[in-house]
Amino acid sequence: MKEISTNVLIGKNKFAKLITFPSVFILIITVVGPFAFLLYASFFDWNLTVPAPPRFAWFYNFGLVFKDLRFWNAFKNTSVLMIAGIITQSILGLIIAFLLNRNFRLKKLAITIIALPIMVTPVVLGFNWRIIYHEHFGPLNYIIRLLGGAGSSWIADPKLALFSIFLVDTWQWTPFVTLILLAGLQSIPRQVYEAADVDGATGWQTFRRVTLPLLRPMFVLVVLFRTIWIFKIFDPVYILTGGGPGIATETLSLYTYVSWVKYWRVGYTSALGIVQLIIMTIIAMIFVRKIMRRRRA
Amino acid sequence: MNRNDKKYQEFRKKERKRKINNLLQNLLLTFFVVLFAFPIYWIFIGAFKQKGEFFHYPPIFLANQFKFDNFTRALTLGGSKGVTDSLIVACIGTLLVIILALFTGYGMGRFKCGGQNLSFFVLSLLFLPPIIAVLPLFIIFKYLRIVDSYIALIWSYFLINLPFAIWLIKGFIEDLPEEIESAALVDGYSRFRAFWKVTFPLIIPGVVVSALFVFVFAWNEFLFALMFTRSNVRTLPVVLSELIGGHGIQWGELSALSLVAIIPGVLLVVFFQKYLVRGLTFGAVKG
Repeated sequence: MKEISTNVLIGKNKFAKLITFPSVFILIITVVGPFAFLLYASFFDWNLTVPAPPRFAWFYNFGLVFKDLRFWNAFKNTSVLMIAGIITQSILGLIIAFLLNRNFRLKKLAITIIALPIMVTPVVLGFNWRIIYHEHFGPLNYIIRLLGGAGSSWIADPKLALFSIFLVDTWQWTPFVTLILLAGLQSIPRQVYEAADVDGATGWQTFRRVTLPLLRPMFVLVVLFRTIWIFKIFDPVYILTGGGPGIATETLSLYTYVSWVKYWRVGYTSALGIVQLIIMTIIAMIFVRKIMRRRRA
Repeated sequence: MNRNDKKYQEFRKKERKRKINNLLQNLLLTFFVVLFAFPIYWIFIGAFKQKGEFFHYPPIFLANQFKFDNFTRALTLGGSKGVTDSLIVACIGTLLVIILALFTGYGMGRFKCGGQNLSFFVLSLLFLPPIIAVLPLFIIFKYLRIVDSYIALIWSYFLINLPFAIWLIKGFIEDLPEEIESAALVDGYSRFRAFWKVTFPLIIPGVVVSALFVFVFAWNEFLFALMFTRSNVRTLPVVLSELIGGHGIQWGELSALSLVAIIPGVLLVVFFQKYLVRGLTFGAVKG
C-alpha cells in the first residue's frame, strides 16, 4: 500500500499544475486585468462625453458616489427587494416544501411544475409579466376585478412598481427556496420525528423545536444565495420597468448600467463598481467560509 | 366492548381529521402549482394568439387554434438570427468551458492544486455582480477590436460559467474515492490515462449536468449580450429585448420567440430536476 501512495505522489504536482493552469490563466486575465483597470479608473475624473483628458482626482469619485442621492435610491431599492424577497420567499418556500414533503400521487409532477420558473429566461420573464401586469388587458387585473377589486397599473404606478418587481422575483425564486428546503426536510431521518412523538411533542412543538433547528443550514444557504442574486438583479427590472417610472425601481446594477451607457462616466462608474465589489466581497467572504467549513467536515 | 367502542370512535375521529387535513393540504398545493405554472402557460398560449386577441377584454385564456404563423413571422423579425447566434455562442462556449473546467476541476478536486487560495478565488468569482465587469471588459474588447463578435461574448461568458463549472466538477470528483485511480496507476497507467479511462467515465453524469447548466446560463444571459454586441452578433435575449422596446410591440411574435427561448431551461428542469439544487447552489446542497 505504501508503495502505491508514493507512486501516486510522484509527478503529482507537475501534472496537477499543468491541468489546473489553463482555466486559472483565463480567469486571471479575464478578471485581474479588468479589475486593475476599474480600480485605476475610479481615481480619475474621466468622462467620455467631455473632451478633457482624464484627470487624477484621488477619492473624488467615491465622494460623489456617497453624496449621490440616486445611488442611495438604488441602494434602498435593492435592499428593499432583498429583505422583502428573502422573508417572503423563505416563508412561502417552507410552506410549499412542507406540502410537497408528503406521499401523494403526482408528487414528481408537482415538484417539476413548481421548479419550472427557476430556469426561465429572465428577459422572457420580464416581457411575459408585462402582459400579465397590463392595466387593461392583463389577466392579473382581470382576476382582481372578478374578485371585486379595481385593478392597478402595476408597473406604471411609482408606488407599486417596486412591489411588482418583487412579485416577479418571488415568483421566479420561491421554487428555488422550496427545493432547497425540501432537500433539507427529506434529509431529516424519520427516527427524529418518532422520538419527538414518543416524548409527546405536539405538532407545533415538533416543528418549532425539531424541524426548524435542523433546517437551519438550509436557511443559511437560502439567505446567502438570495442576497447574492438580488444584489445583482438586472434583466427583469430592465425589461419590466427600465428602472422607472422615474427612478422608482432603479437597482444598483441598473444604475451602474445607466451611469455607463447613458452618461459615459468612466471614473464615476468605476467607483460605483468598486463600492459594489466591496459590499459583495464582504457577503461572499461570510459565505465562502461557511461552504469551506462544510467541505472540510 | 364499550371501551373498545370508544377507542374505535376516537380512531375514526382521528382518521377523519387526518383525511380532511390531507385534502386541505392537497388543495393548497394545487393552488400553488397553478400559481407557478400560470405565467409559463401564458407564454405558451400567447404564442398561438392572433393579433387582436392580446387586446381583448376579458383576456383570452384558451387558444382558439394552434397555428404556427407567429413562429414563422418571428423568425423573419430577427428570430432566426437570434436562435442561430444563441446556439453558436452557447454551444462553443459550453464546449470550451467544460473542457477547461474538467481539467481544472480534476486538478483542484484530486490534487488540491492551488489549495484554499485558488478555491477562494474561484468561488468568489461566482458572487461577482456581472455589471461590475461590464465596463472594464468593454474597454478591453474595444481595445482589441472585438466588440460585437462571437469571441467577445464567448470570452465574457467564461467569467460566469468557468468558475461555476470548475466548482461543480470539482465537487463530483471529490465524491469519488481516490483508490480507484491508485489501482490503475499500479497497473502501469499514466496519470492522464488513469484519469481518462477510470475517473472520467465515472463523472460523465456530472459533466453532462454541468454542461447543460452552462449551456442554459449562456443561452439565457442578457447583460453581457446587450453590452458587447451590436449587429454582427444578436443572441435571442437581445432580439427579444429590442422587439419589446420597439414601436408597436408585436405581442404574438414575441410570445412565439419567448416560447422558443425558454425551451432549454424547461428541458433542464424536467429531465435533470434531481441535479437542480446541487447545480444552483454550486454543490453546497447535494440533495
